[in-house]
Amino acid sequence: MEVVHNKNSQTENSTTKPQKSMSPWAMARRKFMKNKLAMISLSYLIVLGILSFLAPYITTADISRVNIGDMSLAPSAEHWFGTDTSGRDVFTRLLYGGRVSLLVGISCTAIILFIGTLIGSVAGYFGGAVDSMLMRFTDFILNFPFLVFVIVLNAILFGIVSGVWVLIVVLSILGWGGVARLVRSKILSEKENEYILASISIGCKPGKIILKHLLPNVLTTVIVQATILFATMIVAESGLSYLGFGVPQEVPSWGNMLAASQQPEVLQNMPWIWVPPALVLILTILSINFIGEGIKEALNPKSYR
Amino acid sequence: MSITQMKDFQTHNLLEVENLQMHFPVKGGFFRRTIGAVKAVDGVSFTIRKGETLGLVGESGCGKSTTGRSILRLLTPTGGKVIFENEDITNVNGKRLRDIRQDIQMVFQDPYASLNPMQMVGDIVSEPIHNYYKNKNKEELKTEVMDLLTRVGLPEEAYYKYAHEFSGGQRQRIGIARALALKPKLIIADEPVSALDVSVQSQVLNLLNELQDEFDLTYLFIAHDLSVVKHMSDRIGVMYLGNIVEVADKHSIYDNPMHPYTQALISAVPDASKMGEKRERIVLQGDVPSPENPPSGCPFHTRCPKALDRCSSIKPTLKEVKPGQHVACILYD
Repeated sequence: MEVVHNKNSQTENSTTKPQKSMSPWAMARRKFMKNKLAMISLSYLIVLGILSFLAPYITTADISRVNIGDMSLAPSAEHWFGTDTSGRDVFTRLLYGGRVSLLVGISCTAIILFIGTLIGSVAGYFGGAVDSMLMRFTDFILNFPFLVFVIVLNAILFGIVSGVWVLIVVLSILGWGGVARLVRSKILSEKENEYILASISIGCKPGKIILKHLLPNVLTTVIVQATILFATMIVAESGLSYLGFGVPQEVPSWGNMLAASQQPEVLQNMPWIWVPPALVLILTILSINFIGEGIKEALNPKSYR
Repeated sequence: MSITQMKDFQTHNLLEVENLQMHFPVKGGFFRRTIGAVKAVDGVSFTIRKGETLGLVGESGCGKSTTGRSILRLLTPTGGKVIFENEDITNVNGKRLRDIRQDIQMVFQDPYASLNPMQMVGDIVSEPIHNYYKNKNKEELKTEVMDLLTRVGLPEEAYYKYAHEFSGGQRQRIGIARALALKPKLIIADEPVSALDVSVQSQVLNLLNELQDEFDLTYLFIAHDLSVVKHMSDRIGVMYLGNIVEVADKHSIYDNPMHPYTQALISAVPDASKMGEKRERIVLQGDVPSPENPPSGCPFHTRCPKALDRCSSIKPTLKEVKPGQHVACILYD
């Protein structure tokens, strides 16, 4: 009886006794680690995350107090990236802004994935009336005019939920439609496989079939979608904050910092105020996309690097 | 077989299928009205006695697999009755259905699609046991599963491997181990070897035969390969366009087929022992009609070489023409 080994396990020491085979996940992780661009991007994001998270320990400058004496100073040893038009240290605000932007990105992605996967998988698996009902509801959400509803919901939720969480809730409520549709379509095709029939016949209940059999097999698409979503949400936060409908103005975020460039004088003569947040934002989005690309490649069994 | 044994057999019908119908609605037009039905299974009746193998043959699309799936209630039949161990299971649901599935298991056709690629083989095989016996000791379960894997001819290391590391025949063995895990009474084998190499086919068939004696199994063996069915079955049912046209023990079917369709099928089997002899080969004309719009009367009359005028108006029912040989054809009325 011949057992077909995969290439990786043969190169490893084949002398060890019954060793566990690599799960498809472990193989994907291995492939991902070999992708240089994705690994650099990942390290950048991790460093950025750590810096933002530890912001209070790294800089001691006050982020909110207006300091008339230090207005619009160019970069120097004391203020690495200079100060903005209100005399606040740009570097400090950049770190604190990263906190907000990353928080918005991560929380929105998590909430959206949860709602979208739940609704999509239930609709896809059960089909019929359940499917029609959930999908019409999804269409309804998808048809909301985004900007108008962000502004309206922001006004309604203001005071009920505090600070950035208003924006997180709003973005999540409006954002899960695409994920739900994606997951549903994937489940629809996956559930036609005979192993789903098999799992019914061996007595699995619907919840178990969805969680143990269907979701692991559609997760690859969901993960790739999640990275795109993460980037989109950070951009959405920045865009809305730039327009003044996002995070409250006193809270530093990359979008709020960019909003300063609305003044022509800042845009022309004080690049240190808006270039750092813009640069960090671009790098973050880029690296998220590289990571997404890397994951996609790692999860694709047909690609070899 | 003595007469007492025969009687004993008859009282031990494990499965009875009566006039089973599975019509899939065809929707179209405004508001997705039902505008027709694909009559995949249209009035199938047979019985399986305890311990025997009933083969079900027929060409692609004649409703063999649908019949199998309806029995396990993976599909809900639109008509007729399925009686398992004297209990009508046609309309049971929920917990009772789940309990019944413990006794009826299925081996699937496609060894590649029927195993979850994200699960370890050990998990695949232990899952059925885990589903029904939640509090089973983990170590015991593992030994039990390892025993099963060894029994179907896989190495113990297979427990820690994933399905993609195995060949088609080995994957089918995993599928068989999974079906055995619950110690079922009836196994529906839905073309278990049609996707395998000929050299591997016989190994898997022999395994199924050995397991039948060892675990006291009853098989419903679905296939389209006549020689495979002959090797496996005690009795054979021949299906055509959602109907059973003839049921008899395998020797009667092969040596003395009575229904014109069966005769045509059997005449198509190459026979190595009669090499050189001129054989009479019955070649059927035309194609299988669409099950959405089956012919009136006898479903086979459009292609039957012996068709009479009244064949298009009278739908024949299965009648016992010879002892143990049931034929649905008006030629024998």
